[in-house]
Amino acid sequence: MTSFPTAPALSRRTLLRGGLAGAGLLSLAACRSAADTAAGQATGDAAGPRRGGVLTVGTGVDFTPALLFAQSANTLVQRLVFNTLTRYDDKLQPQPELATSWQVAADGASVTLKLREDVTFHSGRRFTADDVVFAVKNLQNPARSAQLRSTATAVTDFRKNGDFELTLVLAHPVSNLFDLFEFMIVPDSETVEEAFAGTKLIGTGPYTFTERKPGSSITFARNEKYWNPGRPYLDGVEIRVVPQAESLLSSLKTGQTHLSYSIRGKDIATLRSDPQFRITPYDTGSGAYYIGANLTAEHVSDKRVRQAIAWAVDRERLVEQALGGYGTVSATPWPKSSPAYSAEAAGHYRHDPERARQLLKDAGLTGISLPFAHSNDPGNTAVAQILQYDLKQVGIETVLQPTDSPTMQKQLIAQSMPALWTLSHGFAQLHPATLAVSAYPFNEAKNSSRFSSPAYTDIVQRAWQRPDSDSPEAKALYGRITDVLLDEQFVIDLAIAGLTEVAVGKARGATLNKFGYLNLDDAYLTA
Amino acid sequence: MTALAAPARALPARARNRYLAGLLTGRGLTGLALVGTVALAGLLAPLLTGQDPDAQGPLALAGPSAAHPFGTDDLGRDLFSRVLHGITTDLALILSAVPVGALAGCSLALLAAGHRWADTAVQRVFDLVLAFPGLILALAVTAVLGPGRWPVFIVIALAEIPLFGRQLRSGILVQREREYALAARVGGASQRRVLLRHVLPNAVDPLIVQAAVALSVGVFIEGAMSFLGLGVRPPEPTLGSILSQSVGYLATRPTFAAAPLAATTALVLGFTLIAEALNRGIRR
Repeated sequence: MTSFPTAPALSRRTLLRGGLAGAGLLSLAACRSAADTAAGQATGDAAGPRRGGVLTVGTGVDFTPALLFAQSANTLVQRLVFNTLTRYDDKLQPQPELATSWQVAADGASVTLKLREDVTFHSGRRFTADDVVFAVKNLQNPARSAQLRSTATAVTDFRKNGDFELTLVLAHPVSNLFDLFEFMIVPDSETVEEAFAGTKLIGTGPYTFTERKPGSSITFARNEKYWNPGRPYLDGVEIRVVPQAESLLSSLKTGQTHLSYSIRGKDIATLRSDPQFRITPYDTGSGAYYIGANLTAEHVSDKRVRQAIAWAVDRERLVEQALGGYGTVSATPWPKSSPAYSAEAAGHYRHDPERARQLLKDAGLTGISLPFAHSNDPGNTAVAQILQYDLKQVGIETVLQPTDSPTMQKQLIAQSMPALWTLSHGFAQLHPATLAVSAYPFNEAKNSSRFSSPAYTDIVQRAWQRPDSDSPEAKALYGRITDVLLDEQFVIDLAIAGLTEVAVGKARGATLNKFGYLNLDDAYLTA
Repeated sequence: MTALAAPARALPARARNRYLAGLLTGRGLTGLALVGTVALAGLLAPLLTGQDPDAQGPLALAGPSAAHPFGTDDLGRDLFSRVLHGITTDLALILSAVPVGALAGCSLALLAAGHRWADTAVQRVFDLVLAFPGLILALAVTAVLGPGRWPVFIVIALAEIPLFGRQLRSGILVQREREYALAARVGGASQRRVLLRHVLPNAVDPLIVQAAVALSVGVFIEGAMSFLGLGVRPPEPTLGSILSQSVGYLATRPTFAAAPLAATTALVLGFTLIAEALNRGIRR
């Protein structure tokens, strides 16, 4: 009789080992797959844009519907659902969007716009000049908290010439008219209140709003009737809210998100050598870190105390340790691309603790303690701790007040900040007058610091109420604005750091406008 | 009466011996060694390091060296000093919050033992606190008070109240049906006297074990709250906040997380081992 070998009985332990080994292999396969994908991404897109796919964008801050018409910490949604009249190119020259052409009157007192005739809202309603009128009036409404409200308010009359030509009559010339057109999204007049509440977003943009899960995600589908032929390429977009900086970084590394503008500078520094990621800095969005001072609070009402704070901060260390080197030390708000930029002014305040102490001594103050609010995310907490330490070295004790980002934004608008706070501001990347008439910290009419000065108002109004923005006269006025800012220090600028895009290799074509609105018209995912 | 009172007076000495016997086991000694080492390091922080835990410098994320035995953090602060002072902060918090929670829980349990309606009310209060997971409780308290020492203290104390309360209540329910308690009542002792003089001393054993468990839970709660940014305000160091800071550098600077992680683990493990040893001791 021939005996056949029998298979040994599988013990429970053997099965367990086998199972674990199998799970391990599967995990390895998954890692390999991710690595292959990354390698594939790095190979580029020789075949050109590909239609299809859903792009996932990671953000640290949730979308706040009540700030839809203002620039806030999350402006990713605006340009997905809506359009603007024009958009700037890299040289700050306006390019057509809903407006195909424009003519500014020689005296700067009016502008005539010709509008696209092939645009419909997601609801099916046709876009006309009436919608532009509505959009301007919408921004004039104080309830919208729009930073460019002052510019919108300068529009005093609307003259329609048919459905697709419109003249905006201005109370006076404004040098930042096209900043308004870059900023102002055109909402559907019939559903604007629902948009403001976040329940329904109807625009003319490349994507239609599908679902919002507060604190978690917001999703969009392709607008099949978009006026830009063949666009967008993507089937849809998901904006995923990941408040923890580490989790956001992990979501990029593991491929759960394709793109983010919320990665901290010091985290970006760890990705520099990874070929899986493409890192693109933008001179845009909420770019400049600063300390704000509430001039109605004790001690900081004294200009010498504010100047002492400006001298006390080690800006180089701040950029290196808190921003991972992604930033430029500057005592003024202007980036190098701004017509208001001056290297001498940017270096006006440097780290000089002795001078800071002397100023405090001159003010008759020793051992003062001030509340100091900061955004409670890890990146801004690190910034606040550096500032707290530097101020302590010159004798200013601060009590940190970690605050969530939307609350800080509301306090900024409501002028209810404590004695000191630190945040970042935008608007300096536009025409300089926009900063001084629109940004909450700098607005000459109503700013977060409650600073008021006839001289500041006069210079700002003169810089703003002129038809040109980069003539020698205009630049001289910007210089005088800078002088006031450096002297008064109600906003103590520290460093300029624009938004930085971190994208996996397969995500291509995403851009931001000057206000940080995400433009995915030409975005696509490679195979 | 003398005969009735005798067991109650004899118990503490016996109990002490049992606690000691439990602690003198391998498990107990290991726990004591772990907690003792970490606590001693924290208490001797000013002697062990002359560095200011909040002093920042240009040398960020440096590795271990003679000047900085644990390296430096992302703001150039000495991690050795921060971890030692972090231990002090943690211990100060839990050693003050846990007794407060224990006292409140036990007081409520004693109140509940007096009347049926009080028992029902206290049980529902315990249910209410237990219904909140620890982190939700932390979020709720922080939403009202803002981050800081007090919210951590309150959350630890609140979390411990029902645990001590329930533990003592169940002990009282068992003990008051025992013969000695019955005899005391027959002998004319008032309900309060029976409860405080006879029942309570005999129901206290599990509370000693619970205290050790509570201390480890306290370390965990502080760590979790600071990790989420709900704990002690920066720049004051705590083990949880240092761990939270280090997470972003796990891949590039793993030594950043090593020391606070080791200290937290030693404290939690140490208290757990002590609790286990005490439990075994009193069950002998």
